Amino acid sequence: MAEKPQPVRVLYCSICSLPAEYCEFGPDFEKCKPWLIKNAPELYPDLLKEANEKEAEKVSGQLQLFGLSSGGADGATSGQTSSSKQEEVKRLPGGKIKKKERQEVVIEKVVRNKRKCITIVKGLDLFGVKLSDASKKLGKKFATGASVVKGPTEKEQIDVQGDISYDIVEFITDTWPAVISLSIFFSFSCVLHKWCIWKTLKEDFVPLF
Amino acid sequence: MFKKFSAEEVSAQNQVKASVQRKIRQSIADEYPGLEPVLDDLLPKKSPLIVAKCQNHLNLVLVNNVPLFFNIRDGPYMPTLRLLHQYPNIMKKLQVDRGAIKFVLSGANIMCPGLTSPGGSLDEEVGAETPVAIMAEGKQHALAIGFTKMSAKDIKAINKGIGVDNMHYLNDGLWKMERLE
Ligand SMILES: [Zn+2]
Repeated sequence: MAEKPQPVRVLYCSICSLPAEYCEFGPDFEKCKPWLIKNAPELYPDLLKEANEKEAEKVSGQLQLFGLSSGGADGATSGQTSSSKQEEVKRLPGGKIKKKERQEVVIEKVVRNKRKCITIVKGLDLFGVKLSDASKKLGKKFATGASVVKGPTEKEQIDVQGDISYDIVEFITDTWPAVISLSIFFSFSCVLHKWCIWKTLKEDFVPLF
Repeated sequence: MFKKFSAEEVSAQNQVKASVQRKIRQSIADEYPGLEPVLDDLLPKKSPLIVAKCQNHLNLVLVNNVPLFFNIRDGPYMPTLRLLHQYPNIMKKLQVDRGAIKFVLSGANIMCPGLTSPGGSLDEEVGAETPVAIMAEGKQHALAIGFTKMSAKDIKAINKGIGVDNMHYLNDGLWKMERLE
């Protein structure tokens, strides 16, 4: 007898019941959109762009209020890290210019093999966090595999299996208070980037207004 | 076929005799050999198999109130889309281009040009009067279950008119009937 095939688990939209990829042909795509942004953003990259465009207008006002530009990570840094913001330039032997590392945590979401997703966390070490310890905590908290690996520039980073990008900010700031949420950046795409900064800003600063 | 389908169209629901249950099981195994390893899980020998008779000579095969297969008169059994999504490789596949998706999802039969255009694709081995999974350009999962009116070779050669009857599609009455109580 042939090997038992494992049933495929299809992501069905909880609004219209169709497989998420068919929402655009469903009875009411508009209603599905918020659910899709949250649960299947990789299927509809344009939705994020749309959300971003709408929110970018709102956020630019807020960003200016904090003396930040809306140009993404380069402009948006918190008060704590602003001292290290001026780029210190160091000349390496051979005349190459090395930028001093900015103290920030970067969360990257990488989709491998179509639907398998990995969340990469870079820069926790810059806040004095021991990476092996952080990797264990992340793996435990999100009940998934996490490991410290060398990234493309030989710098160590933490690879976490699965998409945890929606809950990770809170977990990092709760676990390591030295890392404040404004020094956490998302880079799964530049479009999403601004949107996430806006989200972070909103969550952090709305109580002030 | 399931465009306006609902529980009201079910005229009788009966637990079938063991001999009939064996026959149904066997014809499903013959039609979908890929399903054989999981057939014991899908149609457990010990759970009662219910056949619901509906209008237009349609029969639904249910286990624990979940529709798993359907057929017309004594034609071949076809899986429901929810079942096919779990075991996508049990049926031969034909693919329509993106432009055809909205027509298929409104219940239209599948026209040859939608399968032969650059966005479509045909499994040349598919014969006439065969149950097939209808896939779509750029999508991972099936959007309909079809029954071919002509072979894939003829669809290519004739390239006009209806090539495949649309039996069951996303969001039709059968899709909405996740369970029949
Ligand atoms: Zn939907």
